[in-house]
Amino acid sequence: MEDVTFDFRGHSWKLSAGRAIYWEQEQLLIVADLHVGKSAHFRKAGIAVPANIVQEDLYRLQQLITQYLPQRIIVVGDMFHSSANNDVQYFRIWRQQFPHIIFDLVTGNHDIMEAAVYTSLDIRQHDSLEVQDIYFIHDAEDKPATLNSYVLSGHIHPGVRLVGYGRQSLRLPCFYFGEAVAILPAFSGFTGTYALEREAAAEVFVIAEKKVLRV
Amino acid sequence: MKNTPGWQKIEQWLAAKELKPFAFQEEAWEHYLHGRSGLVNAPTGFGKTFSLFLAVLIRWVNEGSPPTSGLQMLWVTPLRALAKDIGRAMEEALHELRIPWKVGIRSGDTATSEREQQKRRMPEILIITPESIHILLAQKEYAKRFEGLHTVVIDEWHELLGSKRGVLVELGLCRLRSLRPQLQTWGISATIGNLDEALDVLMGTATASKAIVRAEVNKAIEVHCILPDEIEKYPWAGHLGIRLLHKVLPVIRNSRTTLLFTNTRGQSEIWYQQILKAYPDMAGVMALHHGSIDAELRIWVEEALHTGALKLVVCTSSLDLGVDFRPVDTVIQVGSPKGVARFLQRAGRSGHQPDAVSHIWFLPTHSLELVEAAALKDAMKANLIESRMPVVLAYDVLLQYLMTLAVSDGFNAEETWAEVRSTFCFQSLEPEEWQWILAFMTTGGEALNSYDEFRKLHLVGDRYYCTSRQLAMRHRLHIGTIVSDAMLKVRYMTGGFIGLIEEYFISRLSPGDSFSLSGNNLEFVMIKDMTVLVRKSKSKKSIVPSWNGGRMPLSANLGMMLRRKFHEAMNGIAQEEEITILRPLFDLQQLLSHIPQENELLMEHIETKDGYHLFVYPFEGRLVHEVMAALLAWRISRQHSISFSIAMNDYGFELLSDQPIPVDDTNAQELLSPENLAADLQSSVNATEMARRKFRDIAVIAGLIFQGYPGKHKANRHLQSSASLLFNVFHDYDPQNLLLRQAFNEAFFYQMEEARLRDTLERIAGQKIVITFPQRLTPFCFPIKVDSLREQLTSEKLEDRIKKMIVW
Repeated sequence: MEDVTFDFRGHSWKLSAGRAIYWEQEQLLIVADLHVGKSAHFRKAGIAVPANIVQEDLYRLQQLITQYLPQRIIVVGDMFHSSANNDVQYFRIWRQQFPHIIFDLVTGNHDIMEAAVYTSLDIRQHDSLEVQDIYFIHDAEDKPATLNSYVLSGHIHPGVRLVGYGRQSLRLPCFYFGEAVAILPAFSGFTGTYALEREAAAEVFVIAEKKVLRV
Repeated sequence: MKNTPGWQKIEQWLAAKELKPFAFQEEAWEHYLHGRSGLVNAPTGFGKTFSLFLAVLIRWVNEGSPPTSGLQMLWVTPLRALAKDIGRAMEEALHELRIPWKVGIRSGDTATSEREQQKRRMPEILIITPESIHILLAQKEYAKRFEGLHTVVIDEWHELLGSKRGVLVELGLCRLRSLRPQLQTWGISATIGNLDEALDVLMGTATASKAIVRAEVNKAIEVHCILPDEIEKYPWAGHLGIRLLHKVLPVIRNSRTTLLFTNTRGQSEIWYQQILKAYPDMAGVMALHHGSIDAELRIWVEEALHTGALKLVVCTSSLDLGVDFRPVDTVIQVGSPKGVARFLQRAGRSGHQPDAVSHIWFLPTHSLELVEAAALKDAMKANLIESRMPVVLAYDVLLQYLMTLAVSDGFNAEETWAEVRSTFCFQSLEPEEWQWILAFMTTGGEALNSYDEFRKLHLVGDRYYCTSRQLAMRHRLHIGTIVSDAMLKVRYMTGGFIGLIEEYFISRLSPGDSFSLSGNNLEFVMIKDMTVLVRKSKSKKSIVPSWNGGRMPLSANLGMMLRRKFHEAMNGIAQEEEITILRPLFDLQQLLSHIPQENELLMEHIETKDGYHLFVYPFEGRLVHEVMAALLAWRISRQHSISFSIAMNDYGFELLSDQPIPVDDTNAQELLSPENLAADLQSSVNATEMARRKFRDIAVIAGLIFQGYPGKHKANRHLQSSASLLFNVFHDYDPQNLLLRQAFNEAFFYQMEEARLRDTLERIAGQKIVITFPQRLTPFCFPIKVDSLREQLTSEKLEDRIKKMIVW
């Protein structure tokens, strides 16, 4: 999967079209909003969405792992969609391929399973995390009022609307780097996008199929 | 038959009121008493109800007035509002005839206590909506209720026929026929182009003997046109027509009661406000009526129409159907009605007495629409009434129906397959499709594997059941095929319900903004518990909600007539007042560009600050233009890397690009050639986007979108998803999905009229293409250019397009 290198606030990050950030210096892969178990949750309720979405999502995560070889993955919330179901069991087996990789979950509003389940999946749960001067939280709205660190967050599944001459328009998922807060695109294929209002100074990278483009 | 006791009794009863049955009523009675099924073709206001209701009474008297045990006749009506009036008329007749039958109403509005009562003892006659039939079928031991049923009448069948509600009727009938093999089915329909087919759809493959009864009543209709005083000052584009307000008032003053029809709810709100502003004395004698207004208020308006208390009602298609409002003697149509049948129906809302003349005034909302007025008149003279195309293979409705059976008494796959295949809609359903549908409901479409937790239906013995109470309850609340946008209730802060409004509209407002609903100026305060709280606004300016659904395409019949009129107008042959008044406009068109002759196709290249425009005028109607524009854009984009946005109306279409559009007299003919049409169409039309729009309704009807329980919106938020997201997911992960295929079929069926397009292109192949380069916008192009709803087509790489864009 293609990526672009983004030098920002003294860090060098790779923004991947696979909807993740790789932080080489820390050997850290960052993703948001995996929503594992969403399709199973729908299917359990009698709504026949395709069952293979979780396989496809985790296959993409696996490709990112083999591409970057991270030691640690931070999920900025909504790793699981709802209560435990068989997609979660599928994840358990998938997880066993990478016992050496640390999974740190910054709990999101969808992460409602019992703590013991996360432990059994070898996932460490946190309300927030800090790595160097970067503060990880699911919903940036919840960040402490007095915070000097820059925030990396998820939650809103950001997208932008692009317009051009001749009344052209497009809507694409994006990485968004604002003044104090960055927002990652949602990882799962079973998510929509929420159109963001852009701050003047913000840096925005859209995901256009297999490419990441700065706009 | 005439000397049977029942017939005599009815005749005497009518004679006592100094009435005589109409010939078509007697004809219908004859057929009915011979055990036939069929279709009665009669307009409203001519005793169509009695043509079948009285027949059932005659039969009962002829049988010696046996004691009845519950339901004898189902009377299906498309509109809840109609049920009450029909019921009232029936009860009156039963009372005078001293027949001890009860009439019940069953619709979404029926109180729970009355439903319970109906459960214990069904009335002899039940007036019901198509949805409520299915709600009855979703109850345990439903078969018991229909034990005495022998007749089903579908009122206003022409309204249901072309929609998925018609499919609900077909499926309901196939179940009832299985329960009651002797069932007689009758439809009542206004005149449409395909009455024979309408009867076939009603009967499916049932072999009962059947008849069509036509009421030979010729209704006199007079069409008038409201003309602007100075055509030079009348707008070239627009959809409101408010400028002609001062000419509307005399029409209203000289009439007893007037209905003013607009095409959208938004337009009706604006008209209501503007009339009130210009003529404050109308307050109290005028009202507003449309689908988003509180039902109680609507009922009040309808009652007031009956009693003649209102001078004017501004309305939308919400008043297209229904019982006669006798005081109404004038109808005003604002803007194009888009079809002959609809125009006739609306005209028929006035002058309801059999020999009265219906008066309808056509009010053009922009100059060129005057040509349409002339076209309508001619189409009416030629009796060019549109057909209603029945819906076929609506898999979404079938899925819903099977779930309905599964939550009550279950279904046997073989039995139900035979029943379903007996309907017109599903007569060509393939066994593989049936298997897919069963799998979709049992295993969720996947091969069974131990991981999958999908559950909906279970096989118990040889019947499929839904055993989950929760799923069953959810299903019962979602029966029906009318899908509206998520609607929010609007209330005053101090209490008091005003109406409903689309979530999409409210989401764009900020607190403090003013908008208009039900004729009130309201200030948006906040959203709380799925309710929009507002207070009265003092602001002079307010936003009018734009409800969807205002963009109906012109019917093929009217389109043909329109093209003919345009040619007459452009060549100065037409003598009608509506057209001679347009002369200055046509002169200006000729001055700036050109007026195409019968054997010419006009194209205009114009450059504005928006970019480079190419306008083309085939005069073929919106549907053909939509596809033709995409085709032309695609053929150009194959030779050059270029992106377009596309707009169209009923006269022509526009391609807009950020670079000059390479069409000139060397390649124009070739770009519009009928060669390779089929293949080029497949690749050119953005079928995916069209299908995505169709998928919304399909997903809701098939039960894939969970809308939440009334009043309990917060629960189950983990099951929320949008139709667009589901469409993406099926498209990417399950492309064989039948519902996805249905979405593509619907998009192609409704939007791609390949045959019409081919005719058009063949005609163009024999024409001279005239290309002009006007220095400014012309009268022809202006209405297209201002249209903001646009499609896109591109041959540039996504990456290249993004590089030229900015974040909005």
